[in-house]
Amino acid sequence: MSVLGPTSPDGGAQERVEGFIAPEIPGKAYQLPLWRRKPLLIIGLVILGIYVLLAVAGPFFVDDPRVTDPANFYQGPSSDNWFGTDKFGRDVFARAVHAARLDVTIGIVIALSSMVIGSAIGVVSGYFGGWVDEVMMRLTDVVMAFPGFVLALVLVAAIGNSVPNVVIAVSVAYIPYFIRLTRAQVLAERELEYVDGAKLAGNSPLRVAFRHVLPNSMGPSFVQAALVAGWAILTVAGLAFLGVGIRPPTAEWGVMVAEGAPDIITGQWWTALFPGGMIVLAAMAFQFIGDDMGAETL
Amino acid sequence: MWRYLGRRLLISMATVIGIVIIVFFIVRVLPGDAAIVRAGPYANEQKVAEIRQQYGLSDPIPVQFRDYISEVFTGNLGVSIRTNGDVTDELLQRLPASLELAFYAVVLAAIIGIPMGIIAAARRDSWVDRMARVFAVLGSSMALFWLGLLLIYFLFFKLRWFPGPIDRLAIGTEPPDSITGFFTIDAALHGDFGLMVEAFRYLALPVITLGFVLAAPILKMVRASMIDALESEHVRTARAIGVPYWQILFRDGFRNALLPVTTAIGIVFGYMLGGNVIVEFLFAWPGVGRYAYTAIQVNDLEALQGFVIVVGILYVGLNVVIDLVYAWIDPRIRLGKKVAA
Amino acid sequence: MSLLEVDGLTVGLERSPHSLLREVGFTVEPGEVMGLVGESGSGKTMASLAIMGLLPSGIEQRGGTVRLEGRDLMDSGTGEIHRTANQMTMIFQDPRSALNPTMRIGRQIARVIETNQNASREKARAAALAALSHVGIPGAKRVFRAYPHQLSGGMCQRVMIAMALACKPRILIADEPTTALDVTIQAQIFDLINDLVQETGCGVLFITHDLGAIAEMCDRVTVLYGGQVMETGSLRGVFTQPLHPYTQFLFDAVEREVDPRVEEKGANFALAGCRFGHRCPYVFEACGQFPPLRTVIEGHRSACFLPEEGRIGAP
Repeated sequence: MSVLGPTSPDGGAQERVEGFIAPEIPGKAYQLPLWRRKPLLIIGLVILGIYVLLAVAGPFFVDDPRVTDPANFYQGPSSDNWFGTDKFGRDVFARAVHAARLDVTIGIVIALSSMVIGSAIGVVSGYFGGWVDEVMMRLTDVVMAFPGFVLALVLVAAIGNSVPNVVIAVSVAYIPYFIRLTRAQVLAERELEYVDGAKLAGNSPLRVAFRHVLPNSMGPSFVQAALVAGWAILTVAGLAFLGVGIRPPTAEWGVMVAEGAPDIITGQWWTALFPGGMIVLAAMAFQFIGDDMGAETL
Repeated sequence: MWRYLGRRLLISMATVIGIVIIVFFIVRVLPGDAAIVRAGPYANEQKVAEIRQQYGLSDPIPVQFRDYISEVFTGNLGVSIRTNGDVTDELLQRLPASLELAFYAVVLAAIIGIPMGIIAAARRDSWVDRMARVFAVLGSSMALFWLGLLLIYFLFFKLRWFPGPIDRLAIGTEPPDSITGFFTIDAALHGDFGLMVEAFRYLALPVITLGFVLAAPILKMVRASMIDALESEHVRTARAIGVPYWQILFRDGFRNALLPVTTAIGIVFGYMLGGNVIVEFLFAWPGVGRYAYTAIQVNDLEALQGFVIVVGILYVGLNVVIDLVYAWIDPRIRLGKKVAA
Repeated sequence: MSLLEVDGLTVGLERSPHSLLREVGFTVEPGEVMGLVGESGSGKTMASLAIMGLLPSGIEQRGGTVRLEGRDLMDSGTGEIHRTANQMTMIFQDPRSALNPTMRIGRQIARVIETNQNASREKARAAALAALSHVGIPGAKRVFRAYPHQLSGGMCQRVMIAMALACKPRILIADEPTTALDVTIQAQIFDLINDLVQETGCGVLFITHDLGAIAEMCDRVTVLYGGQVMETGSLRGVFTQPLHPYTQFLFDAVEREVDPRVEEKGANFALAGCRFGHRCPYVFEACGQFPPLRTVIEGHRSACFLPEEGRIGAP
């Protein structure tokens, strides 16, 4: 005979003994407030917020970035020209603010487009496997054998200098990251039961892949996108600094640094260092956000 | 181990072939008329036609591809439009300058990144760890050209500690006779220590620029893999059986964290091969990166294509070296699954 | 005075009001094997790590004492446990990952001897080789030069035992030492541990979820559930006359040939009173309080408020 008699020692027993339920100590594990746990995320979001504000509203409050003032060249930072003026007497601050709109937009567009394309390829590759997967993986191997910057460099050089071409070239350089990331997630995700459920419910394989598996595999890609947005700003500015992609007289941070670089050794530091600092701060904001959201960073 | 290395070598060779093919597609097949790009913005119809003829650009793509492949695999990267020189020769001539810069930059990055990563992992959540994290984020969001300009402004223009961004040596200084191509080492080998110091002084700013940025990924990787190693079960064993702290940190921790760290250094090298275009341009460093920069300015696609192929091959070759190191330091690969008992 | 005396050991996640171990206490005598049994997640391993002073980061010790031969191992200043390997050492569940993958077996044992017995490198080498032969490894010389990945799991566990042996500990903690191994290897490892006890007179804390292994190995048993000691007593006493409803349930599960882990709802670490409160068929008002261990029969203690006569099937 069983030691415990016919009852099983689970919830049912509680009602039997005068409905007694063992009391619990209230309270969950205490978590530190968000700003203590993820201070960098908050700082990053604040900086990014300022940039977005600058990009959206800034151009309405500053002068035309193309206006030259030959009498007023190489003026140091002052209350009139916060970032000083360059060799043509253009206001560096006005140019940097106009550039914010261009650079931040480009960075985000590159991150989003490479994420969308990379994830789509990644989900097909990971979910269906087979020769498609094999080909895609070898292809990403080859593309990733180039340093991303060099790939973007030669792509722009081949297809020509223009803003859309830069966006395309830099996106291509980052797509393999998203393919890899999504594929790895999909490989883990497709083994889960809800995928079988979705299949049994009569969904087509493509629908299962894109409507069920993909949305559940996107988490790491969003985090990665934050980092890529930062790197993209650096890459675009780096290309412009080399005279590739976006060219003078466009108000773009990298272009401004390139134009101001020769001034450094004659002492006019503001023409290059201010726009350069804008680049680094913007990249840093994205980096803070991605880093604190727990991205795989390298 | 030989099977592993053989496999890796095969993959590397496939990657090199892939690189060569992709470069062909980018330069010749993508929309955009290669002849017009080559001829430059001021060329007339006739000039474009001439160039098309000269480079065989009017041939069908498969024919162009065949010619290109046979050229590249015999080591012929074409003739530069700008200098009329042989691209392969010109690149090889400039390679030592780039390698010397790269070598010292990676060494500096390792000197900063590895100890910082070890301390950050050993003292998690301490102030050292927090500083390391901020440093890493700063490094990965740093623009090479901005840092370079900052250093030039303060350390050259203001303080005059280091020479300006001119070249590998002061104008008029004879470089040492080439043995390794590294000015610092060649000067030392010839016993000319004054020259060696000068070479180091010219190296300093570009090396600091690159090294600072490269230290970030190394630091992150060392920290992450050190934490993995220190939280592993074998470290728990070592603690249980009373192994002293320092031995745990280095023999059980760092020695096992070294495997992912070698990979990180490989990736960093690849990153740097891209970054060196910016740094070599900024510091007027006469290496392959500056060669590529000049090529871009005059649409010298042959030279640029040669640069990309060389960079790709260097990167793949480096990964082969890293695989070798990996196989050497990991007994699981070195000895395979050969059962002892 | 017992060899090892654990009392009131309480451990919890940082910033959480709940405890993963609550007032765990038991003793181990010299030359004795004390079994610590419980479902997975009952806190067996946590208890052993806490005793060893090897708690992972994020988990804090909140109270309790660990005494070895009457001496408190806890540093009252830092609240950390200080122990040397020749006081207490431990072998683990998965012997292959418990050994350093980049170090030769011989070196791993030799360094134990170097650090714990202040031996020279040469002496340590010889002693390590002897230790390997001692734990019944054939071809000790070849194994000496091997890396862990070249050995079977059973061999690795022998190596672990050789390492533990080389520490000459007063207490050996064995955390599920055969769970990851083939059943055929189990008996050999058990014999090895028994021999060790015979030779050195050390005490063993033997942790397992397997009641059969307990019956085979142990002199006394402590039953753990939800981080709380339910019952402790002699092997014979606990097995023939289980006093606590949880222990009874555990044996019942074996009788009905179900794995207790299959039926488990998981311990509720938020319970204010008895941790078995949400599963116990006899739960009543008093169970809202934490039940202290009380001696029911000489040498046999149980943490339950119920009078024995009140229980179904009680003796």
